[in-house]
Amino acid sequence: MRYPFLLFICWLAGLLSISAAQRSSSWENSVVSLEASRRSYDYLQPWARRQETVTKSGVVIGPRQILTTADYLHDITLVRVQKNGRGPWYSAKLAWIDYHANLALVTSADSNLWSHLKPASWLPKPMSRGQVELVRWRNGRLESFQGDIQQWAVKKGKLTWVDYLQMEVSSEINAAGWAEAVVVDNKLVGITSSHADNRCTVLPAPFVRPILQAQNQNRFPGLGYFDFVWQKIENPDILAYLKLTGAPRGVVVVDGGLKLGHASPIQPMDLIVKIDGLDIDNEGDYQDPDYGKLSIENIASGRLWANRSVPIQVWRSGELKEVAYTIPKVDYADELVPLAHYDQEPEYLIAGGLVFQPLTEPYLRSWGSDWRRKAPFRLVYYTLEKPSVEKPSRVLLSTVLPDRTTIGYQDHRFLVIERVNNRPISRLNDLAEALKSPVGGFQVIEFAPGESVGKLVLNASRLEDATARVLQHFGIQKDRHLSSP
Amino acid sequence: MLATGAEPERSVVQITTFSQQPDWAAPWRFESVRRSSGSGFVIRGKRILTNAHVLSWARQVLVRRYQDPRPFLARVVYMGHDCDLALLALEDESFFDNLDPLDLGDLPKVRSSVVTYGYPAGGEQISYTRGVVSRIEVQSYTHIGNRGFIAVQTDAAINPGNSGGPVIQDDKVVGVAFQGIPGLENTGFFIPPPVIQHFLQDVEDGEYHGFPQAGIRLSSLQNPDFRRYLGLPDNDQGARIDSLSPIPSTTAVLQKEDVLLQVGSYAVASDSTILYEGNRLHAGVAFSEVQHGQSLNLRVWRQGKELSVTLPMNVVRDDAAEGNQYQLPKYYIFGGLIFTPLNRDYLRAVGGSSPDTLGSELAYELFYRRQEKPETWRPEPIVLVGILSHSVNANFSIKGRALIQKVNGRRIEDLKGLIEAFESSSATYDVIQFVTQQSFDCLNHSAAVQATSEILKTYNIPSDRRL
Repeated sequence: MRYPFLLFICWLAGLLSISAAQRSSSWENSVVSLEASRRSYDYLQPWARRQETVTKSGVVIGPRQILTTADYLHDITLVRVQKNGRGPWYSAKLAWIDYHANLALVTSADSNLWSHLKPASWLPKPMSRGQVELVRWRNGRLESFQGDIQQWAVKKGKLTWVDYLQMEVSSEINAAGWAEAVVVDNKLVGITSSHADNRCTVLPAPFVRPILQAQNQNRFPGLGYFDFVWQKIENPDILAYLKLTGAPRGVVVVDGGLKLGHASPIQPMDLIVKIDGLDIDNEGDYQDPDYGKLSIENIASGRLWANRSVPIQVWRSGELKEVAYTIPKVDYADELVPLAHYDQEPEYLIAGGLVFQPLTEPYLRSWGSDWRRKAPFRLVYYTLEKPSVEKPSRVLLSTVLPDRTTIGYQDHRFLVIERVNNRPISRLNDLAEALKSPVGGFQVIEFAPGESVGKLVLNASRLEDATARVLQHFGIQKDRHLSSP
Repeated sequence: MLATGAEPERSVVQITTFSQQPDWAAPWRFESVRRSSGSGFVIRGKRILTNAHVLSWARQVLVRRYQDPRPFLARVVYMGHDCDLALLALEDESFFDNLDPLDLGDLPKVRSSVVTYGYPAGGEQISYTRGVVSRIEVQSYTHIGNRGFIAVQTDAAINPGNSGGPVIQDDKVVGVAFQGIPGLENTGFFIPPPVIQHFLQDVEDGEYHGFPQAGIRLSSLQNPDFRRYLGLPDNDQGARIDSLSPIPSTTAVLQKEDVLLQVGSYAVASDSTILYEGNRLHAGVAFSEVQHGQSLNLRVWRQGKELSVTLPMNVVRDDAAEGNQYQLPKYYIFGGLIFTPLNRDYLRAVGGSSPDTLGSELAYELFYRRQEKPETWRPEPIVLVGILSHSVNANFSIKGRALIQKVNGRRIEDLKGLIEAFESSSATYDVIQFVTQQSFDCLNHSAAVQATSEILKTYNIPSDRRL
């Protein structure tokens, strides 16, 4: 009795598998594999380079245009494309990339690549619920996995701190998040950007398409964000304290003007009740016609972009006021500890064995995925602090390469610099300049208050020889790599 | 003096402590009663010397003599939390009949043999272990975790229950066993005679003051360029004062960048050490020799000249990170919101080293702000510990573990200021502003005042405050 039943199950499974393959077959000419080779860096030895190669997916979306995520496409040295899941790899290049949006377009001059490839069509209407398929090439076969749309959420992008519209899809697909095509009814819904616990985050068409359309016309200004911090109002006493009349609404601003040099008309204790004509509720949401309640952050990163002026209605000192707010463009340099600095070699400067580097998140990530717990507390705490005009960023003495000049200093590391030769230091270029002006024949390096040591001193006249000795001894080619001032 | 041929073990006692420590996350409450045991020994004056950590938060202390089944009630007479030493007295002084007090010896030599006596876990009878003095160094005393004194390392086993027991050499006490290092085998530490003597001298006036602090941080001066920069000869003398704590008696005498050449009778070497009874120890040892209120003569190098100064030495008690650990936690409850001063114990109780924003902020406030941003430092930072649920606070959005910035526009520097900010308000709403991104929340003042007594009753809290 057992055998016929097992056979039936096998037959049914085979039927389902074939069925899935048949449904996905139209994607064979639209989904491609990408291979990206890139330079990667050891931020604890910033002069050292490694090579890394990743394979991910892409979707043909237009003439000689392949859409993929920007993830792992920084510092690339070579991009290749493979169609049909097998056969030759074609040389390609990046046509456009936006790290904050996590989107990239790849193209190739090789006509052979494009023959038989067909641009995918986008799903014309928003799809808030239902089933989708996730499609990719794997081991020469086109894989297709079913997925269910779980929710739409305005949340932090993978390569940025900006919140924007994303879709979450549950699926049994494994090792995804590499720009797999998310499709329904032969139409493209989006591409995956990450994957964890049977849940894929998808960059959806309503987020991607307007950006691509604008980019094709060279008028995408970049994602924007609101450079003020607001808090939800769960407590009606806050509205009463602010003497708001009428229905409960709005969120209250607790900190503003976060982007240096950006003139913001928004003030702490402003109650934001309307943005761009959209009513804001106490959760910080507005009513989107297609997706329901969405966070106001989506207004700056999705509905509108950077540099746009948007009317904001605030309740301030007991009355309604409308202010014109220009949405600032997101930039990694907006943060005291930049989240990333793609397509640039790590900056460093070696002076007589002292190694100086900017404090960045890539540097902190040298402590591994649990870097917030494992990296030195004080360095991590800088990620919670705001930049200021005086200190837009920080530089640290990251390590000391032992030399006769640095005897007594060998154990110093992870120390944030305050001044060098009496000059304030916030960038590595400041430090390079300051080292040109020794004090009384000495290089005097002072560290931030609270560091485990306050000051180090080196003989300026012997520094050049010491640096040359260290470079030779440790096999380092250059004493510095600085960004353009 | 111990009689010749006497058996030291007769003067070694077993201490059983029933303790109850406060719950810093609910500061009016105590945790369950806990039983623990340690060791101690009889010294002159009918007293028993042991570790402070053996007696912390004791509700009852029982002492048993060697091979005597009777428990005797004891009471704590002096606690030195900084040096982890304490003295007990007995309610029934017949306990001391026929017991010879043990006398203190000198700092033992490295490589010499010692024997530890005590009642470690694993049995009821006294235990002896012989070992060698492996090294003598300044170590962190982990009982309160922020002070360092001389400690002697030995390979004699020192296990839980040994704490407070004597370490004997030539029939004299050369140490009090007190701590080990987790993960290191055959490594135990004992408190040596100089620290014990300091403690015993301190209490002679009937009060324990503690070890005074100079409030200076020394940095080695081994780099020839740095020495030239300071105009110092290229020798092995002098360590640089890298930073000064804001202790007025210290900042009046010493300056950052002074080079410390001599402390009392000890020459300070370029690696910040002194030669102490044949051992190279951190110069902090020289500062530990004096008592609270005494002074030390120092020789310093300042701007190319050598000069002598006298440094008054006092115990520092104004820093939450330094030692409020063994007082009952202060608190204030208003409208169900529980406030308490931030200190090491609170941070430990709530896992304040966690990498989330709130945990990081608490750790920064306690350990870094005073040095880095003294202009924003608060003598007693206040934390919203949690909220006792009631309709008056049901919509309060911040639930706890948040540092208070302002209440009703007043910057909160201590618990007294917080209470005044609430109680002096005549506004309809109290506005509580937090440090975290300056977020804030409101409470209806009169409703909160009315609700407080009801909340105290509901949660069986004896008082709305402990100051």
